[in-house]
Amino acid sequence: MNAVESTGLVKAFGKKRAVDGLTVQICENRITGLIGRNGAGKTTFLKLIAGYLKPTRGSVDVFGKNPFDNLDVSNNLIFVDDGMAFSQSFTLGEIIAEMPRFYRNFDLELATKLLDYYSLDKKQRTAKLSKGMRSSFNAIIGISARAAVTIFDEPTTGMETAARKDFYRALLKEYIAFPRTVILSSHLLGELSGLLEDIVLIDSGRLVTVMSADEAATYAIGLRGGEKQVGELAGERQVLYREDFAAGVYLVVKGGLAPEEAARAQKLGVEVTPVEADDLCIYLTQKDKGGIDSALRRE
Amino acid sequence: MKISGDAMTPIYMRIAQMLEDLILDGSLKEDERVYSQYQLAEMFNINPATAAKGLNLLADEGTVYKKRGLGMFVSADARERILKKRRDGAFKEMARQLVLEAKRLQIDKEKLIDEIRHIYESGAGE
Repeated sequence: MNAVESTGLVKAFGKKRAVDGLTVQICENRITGLIGRNGAGKTTFLKLIAGYLKPTRGSVDVFGKNPFDNLDVSNNLIFVDDGMAFSQSFTLGEIIAEMPRFYRNFDLELATKLLDYYSLDKKQRTAKLSKGMRSSFNAIIGISARAAVTIFDEPTTGMETAARKDFYRALLKEYIAFPRTVILSSHLLGELSGLLEDIVLIDSGRLVTVMSADEAATYAIGLRGGEKQVGELAGERQVLYREDFAAGVYLVVKGGLAPEEAARAQKLGVEVTPVEADDLCIYLTQKDKGGIDSALRRE
Repeated sequence: MKISGDAMTPIYMRIAQMLEDLILDGSLKEDERVYSQYQLAEMFNINPATAAKGLNLLADEGTVYKKRGLGMFVSADARERILKKRRDGAFKEMARQLVLEAKRLQIDKEKLIDEIRHIYESGAGE
């Protein structure tokens, strides 16, 4: 069964459609990355899945159920973002001690160990934490909850590199030990791509594509060299990005190169480079084929 | 631990290559159990599905075989299979690159063969 299914999902805030006809399925028990630019609709989509928002049109189902105002879904879904609010009447230690009331599988022992590891004071309250520490605390709650659907919206905001790496590792190990559906939105795809199984790429509230993380690794290639030579090699392929520079051009095209084509590239002196998933997502969602340089160019 | 290999190859292929290397150098012997997808996931910090893909690639090529409920094991002829695959594939490609580079640097055929002979005989890799 699919953990999440959305059909023609629309969410409008006044005239603005944050989600604009999104139809996508997210497989259960996988780690899926929801990738897109700022303003692409990631947070709105996740909130619709979590039942925090009601669709304007279309539908979204979590394990076949409408998540809005649904206790069944609520019990089995946790949504972690930096807006995650906890009462200031409780200390961190008290919060985690109460979590099993809300999430029956909450691993208190794990949460306690993680609090220590992150040097978070059990007697502290969340308002007193730095941004990075608060993200870490929210992440600890999210991982320890062992909820069937675990959603993280930009969970690493403010976290330093070491803390982020630890978060991904803790998430991976706990996911292996206790499988669940994980949906992670981030724009730091580069450091995430080993962790993800699937990638859902959205732009302007709509689906661009769904692919597996390893499909993303070989989806496109970069060709750099003289314009004519690169053009010959590129042929009829779809161009995702173009950058002109003095000595030639850099083209990102869909697909890979067959061995004969690779040989031809060498003969022509065209450099062939891989396109990493994070760059790929930028190229697939960009507005202007020229990138920032076109804005910086002086006439 | 980081997986070696170039960024041009997807992670699951690099996992497969790494396991092949271990079989070739004798670290993994025939009929010995190979790491599971979960062990590989933990070792390299990757999604177990990706690790599984690498293992399945080797299984499809006959380099490893599956024992129901026990995991993946190194095939009896695994070494020969890997050697053959690499001789026909990656090695030929490497040789082609070498020739192309030699031509680009204007090293003639005789000089190139001499150079290779010299390196081979000087005991490289022993």
